[in-house]
Amino acid sequence: MPERKEMTRMNCEICGRKAKSKFCERHEEAYGSLLKTYEEWRKAMDISWRDYLEEIKENPYAGKWAKEVAEYLLTSEGLSL
Amino acid sequence: MLCEKPSAASRIAKALDDKGRPAEKRIGRVPYYESRMGERSLVVVPAIGHLYTVAPRVRNRNVYPIFDFEWVPRHEAERDAKEIKDWIEAISTLSKEADEFILATDYDIEGATLGYTILKYACGGKEKEAKRMKFSTLTVSELKRSYENLIESIEFPMIEAGICRHLLDAIYGINLSRAMTVAAKSWSGKYATLSTGRVQGPTLKFLTDREKEINCFVPVPFWRINAKVEINGSLFDVEYEKKTIKSQREAVEIVEACKGKKGEIAEIEVREFRQNPPVPFDLGALQREAYSLFRYTPRRTSDIAERLYLEALISYPRTSSQKLPETINYRGILESLRKESRYKRLADLLLEKEKLVPNEGKGYDPAHPAVYPTGNLPERKLSIPERRLWDLIVRRFMAVFGEPAVKQSVRVSIEINGHTFYLRGRRILKEGWIAFYRPYVQIEDVILPPLEEGEMVEFKEISHEQGFTKPPARYNPGSLLKKMEDEGIGTKATRAEIIDTLYTRGYVSGERAVVSELGLDVIDILSRYCPEVISVEFTRELEKSMENIQKGEENLENVIEKATSRLKPVLFRLKENEKQIGQELSEAIRETLMSRRILGDCPVCGTGKLIIIRSRRTGKRFVGCTNFFKHTCKASFPLPQRGVVTPANMTCKKCGFPMIRFKLKGKRPFTFCINPECAGKKGND
Repeated sequence: MPERKEMTRMNCEICGRKAKSKFCERHEEAYGSLLKTYEEWRKAMDISWRDYLEEIKENPYAGKWAKEVAEYLLTSEGLSL
Repeated sequence: MLCEKPSAASRIAKALDDKGRPAEKRIGRVPYYESRMGERSLVVVPAIGHLYTVAPRVRNRNVYPIFDFEWVPRHEAERDAKEIKDWIEAISTLSKEADEFILATDYDIEGATLGYTILKYACGGKEKEAKRMKFSTLTVSELKRSYENLIESIEFPMIEAGICRHLLDAIYGINLSRAMTVAAKSWSGKYATLSTGRVQGPTLKFLTDREKEINCFVPVPFWRINAKVEINGSLFDVEYEKKTIKSQREAVEIVEACKGKKGEIAEIEVREFRQNPPVPFDLGALQREAYSLFRYTPRRTSDIAERLYLEALISYPRTSSQKLPETINYRGILESLRKESRYKRLADLLLEKEKLVPNEGKGYDPAHPAVYPTGNLPERKLSIPERRLWDLIVRRFMAVFGEPAVKQSVRVSIEINGHTFYLRGRRILKEGWIAFYRPYVQIEDVILPPLEEGEMVEFKEISHEQGFTKPPARYNPGSLLKKMEDEGIGTKATRAEIIDTLYTRGYVSGERAVVSELGLDVIDILSRYCPEVISVEFTRELEKSMENIQKGEENLENVIEKATSRLKPVLFRLKENEKQIGQELSEAIRETLMSRRILGDCPVCGTGKLIIIRSRRTGKRFVGCTNFFKHTCKASFPLPQRGVVTPANMTCKKCGFPMIRFKLKGKRPFTFCINPECAGKKGND
């Protein structure tokens, strides 16, 4: 029971919305998209995960939620993920 | 004779009066006309659109679910429809003296339904004996012909489909909108109009799906090769064989391999092809073209087209047809249009043809042909938008009779060190229909110099350029309308209005439709608690059922029963979860309202946000910093106390302070900088 209570209380680390894990549904989807696309970036150029996140954070075509996740992942808390 | 609008009534009365001068009379503010036709007297009375609407028998707005609906005068159900009472009374009075009834409203579902309800409720049950006028233009000749060939009864299957649509829209719209509004109100205690509906829900879902895709989008890098070759002293752009290259290393290798080298022309391919004329306009195509050329929203185009129709300049615009039957008299229309100097040369070119055959599309509408100019010339000076739309319709009409255009494309393949580049040219050999549709079609020729296979060309410039994949484009009102058409939801008459509602509810904003937090949350909540109501399939299924009613293949009661049985469990589920839904909606409403108040970062303290605040003490509004409440920033700026102020979402070019948009009723909006000390303001230089 206490575990269930914990679940319902969880909020997104980025926007504070209700979340089942660290992120809400929106940011979870954006996180998935970031992970998937990193492989394509690595095939295209020699780039580290950190540099990739920096690129996405600044890229004008990157979506708002994807940028927010990239920014979060670049913080010390995010890098531990 | 009952017409749909006053301007239509006036035109019909004039067309049918022996002298073209019917007597104009009034009952209160309601105009009507008396036309003399030999010994007969014809009373022509207009409605102002629908006078009756479907409303729940239980009027308390906090009650749902409700399935008991009835037709009532609009003024009894809608707050801003007071004038309807006068109209119903006037028609009712005139009907008592009439010995014959003719329905002359628009010949479509809505026209037939509004006529039916007036004949039934205002005229005391005359719907079964009324005759019907059918016409697609308000020209004198067509109106007279239509009057001489009255249809013996009004179109009941079409009316049944119309009634079904009104009932379904009410059952869905009222119940679901009440459920959301009541839930939000019961949680926050504040009233906010929220709505969804049978078509509105799935349409908003298209937008939110796209919004999510855009917000989650992660671009991927690619590279392009840019190169120029020199031929006879001129430089020409050439394209690399692959449009994009996926790795940086490969792009570098290509450039290295070709730099400073000469290429050989390996092949010259010349291709000729014919491009058929466009098809005549149905309403959707007209709305899309007007959006792409003039940026008019579908609703605006629809309104302008309606005015042009009521002035007998174009045929009935709410049509799905892409066909122009010969009976409209192509030559007669062109003969009339040539009286306008700008169309004379083009009309003459078509009139020289032995036979005029339009290039028709597949779209078919049993009630009306495609949109076409009647040949009448404007009796007054048209406004710029009216003139533009009329000109577009006239030129499109002429273009559909044009010959196919013949175009030539040339592709020159240049081989260089194992790589291929293409040099492309194009030109029009025969203009055909394009001559009639200018300036609405722009094609520029790219003429290449004479070249031969085996000839060597020098690469003057070659480089690689990095690009990124782009997110999918946002919908705009034109592309959203097309999506609704393709998905088969809504009708030609309702789609533009539904798009408008999404904007007025605050679910969407901007020309490139950006979905608000509220719009995202409404769909998020509906998809969790009742995915059925945003399902395109179910909406499409109901549209199909309504078509079947019109064809006499299904009946009204069964369709309503089917829809109600699908909706009932959904509404009970919403009721059960009212508290949770209310909380989520209230948060979304609060965020949306807040976003409408935030102007931007505070330039004084640099950490707070400037927001529009109303003082509890004085009741006056002003701009203040959010850090005021933390006692760390006292920045505040005055605001006008009248009119509507909203964030302009831009900063002042002179001082960098946020700008505000200000609108007074009946006046054009304008933006100004909130900073009274701004150097851009008079006296502050």
